[in-house]
Amino acid sequence: MHPEKNNSSAFEPKIIAFVCTWCTYAGADLAGTSRMQYPSNVRVLKFPCTGRIDPVFILKAFQQGADGVLVSGCHPGDCHYIAGNFHARRRFAAFRKLLEFVGVDLQRLQFSWVSAAEGGKWVDVVTDLTETVRALGPMTEFKELALEEQWSGALTTPELKEAYLQI
Amino acid sequence: MNNTIDISHYAAIADSIRAEAARILEQGVVTAVVAYTTGRRAGSVQPVIITAAAEAERLTFTAASVNNLAVYLTKAKKDIPRSGRIGIVVKGCDLKALVGLMGESQLQRDQLYLIGIPCAGVLASTVRPAEALIAATLAPKCRECDAHLPEGCDYVPAVSLPSAPTLEPSYAAEIARLEALTPAERWAYWKEQFAKCIKCYACRQVCPFCFCEQCLCDRNKPQMVDTTPRPAGNTAWHIVRAMHLAGRCAGCAECERVCPMDIPLNLLNRKMAKELKELFDYEAGFAVHEKGPLNSFMEKDDQSFIK
Repeated sequence: MHPEKNNSSAFEPKIIAFVCTWCTYAGADLAGTSRMQYPSNVRVLKFPCTGRIDPVFILKAFQQGADGVLVSGCHPGDCHYIAGNFHARRRFAAFRKLLEFVGVDLQRLQFSWVSAAEGGKWVDVVTDLTETVRALGPMTEFKELALEEQWSGALTTPELKEAYLQI
Repeated sequence: MNNTIDISHYAAIADSIRAEAARILEQGVVTAVVAYTTGRRAGSVQPVIITAAAEAERLTFTAASVNNLAVYLTKAKKDIPRSGRIGIVVKGCDLKALVGLMGESQLQRDQLYLIGIPCAGVLASTVRPAEALIAATLAPKCRECDAHLPEGCDYVPAVSLPSAPTLEPSYAAEIARLEALTPAERWAYWKEQFAKCIKCYACRQVCPFCFCEQCLCDRNKPQMVDTTPRPAGNTAWHIVRAMHLAGRCAGCAECERVCPMDIPLNLLNRKMAKELKELFDYEAGFAVHEKGPLNSFMEKDDQSFIK
């Protein structure tokens, strides 16, 4: 289950997977019960449907330290709620373009269709994304933004210095 | 090259608006008219809502009539009486916003009396409202306007639209410039832009489409977007804002105009409009669509990005 903890500080990517409960979650479960091996870097979050996965969740995942995000659900036509994945497909097609324009590396964001029977595909998708992200290195952009929100305390301007002396 | 924009017909438009507003209020066609009136500073213009025919003489239309009045009709801004048919003065871009709101069932066409403006363009900023309208002071959205003449209005002043000089579109050029950069360079550009944000939410308040009773970004259980004006929360806010307007934004560029920190907000909106045109062949226009591009789908939609 757990990767061997070696003492070297080698980069282990954090992958967040947003999956739909009816297909991909069951597919991941199948991979587990079939005792297939896949990287334990992936943290699975279960949703009712890919249609429930708001793009803001992806942003939040990156902000909270994810190095890669996987969104996975039922194949087109197999949605438990008839059309949730069709809507998600359009939404994420647009969201990808937006992230790309803002300057996010799209290799860190993977979408896939994995059915309840595709335990092997789940293993492939997770392994591919983990290895891609491992090669890219840590996602630093959003983390740096979060660090920048703490003021360094440096009195960088004459105005600040003057204000400080008057306290 | 002649850079002056011919707006000599605006005086005739203002006269027509006054006459028409007085007529429809007099005859009881509408209960109120949303229009422009003269502001206190020389040359300035501000939105006004009048309810009596006698007030119609206050109305005007000049190159400083920049506001998108559609915002006064949306749910979150209950500034006008909702008790009857409302008259409203619309430029082409404003009409696209109204049409979008009709598509989202926020407004009914029969509850509106549209006074369309054959618009040659307005100023980019109201800081100097009396300025002459030339290519340099023209709003960037007007440079690439395809809606000088609004369609489907109840009344359009009978003036002929002077021919406008052909100008280079500025948004398209800027989008192309950014697209040619590397992701890291784009990130650096937007990081600098978003860092300026002071989270005043003027962009949200002025947007006709931001009519949610409670904005996702104001909620704190769960708090999806940090509310403080710091880089992480600012970036998230602007991405969420662009995403929520994707496929809805009519391109009135009010967000960009009101931004006190001069963040190029309409650039994100225009980029999303361009992508949705390419992906789903959707464009904001004068025809009411029951479903927008992101709440409808086709089985054959592109899924080449999905494994």
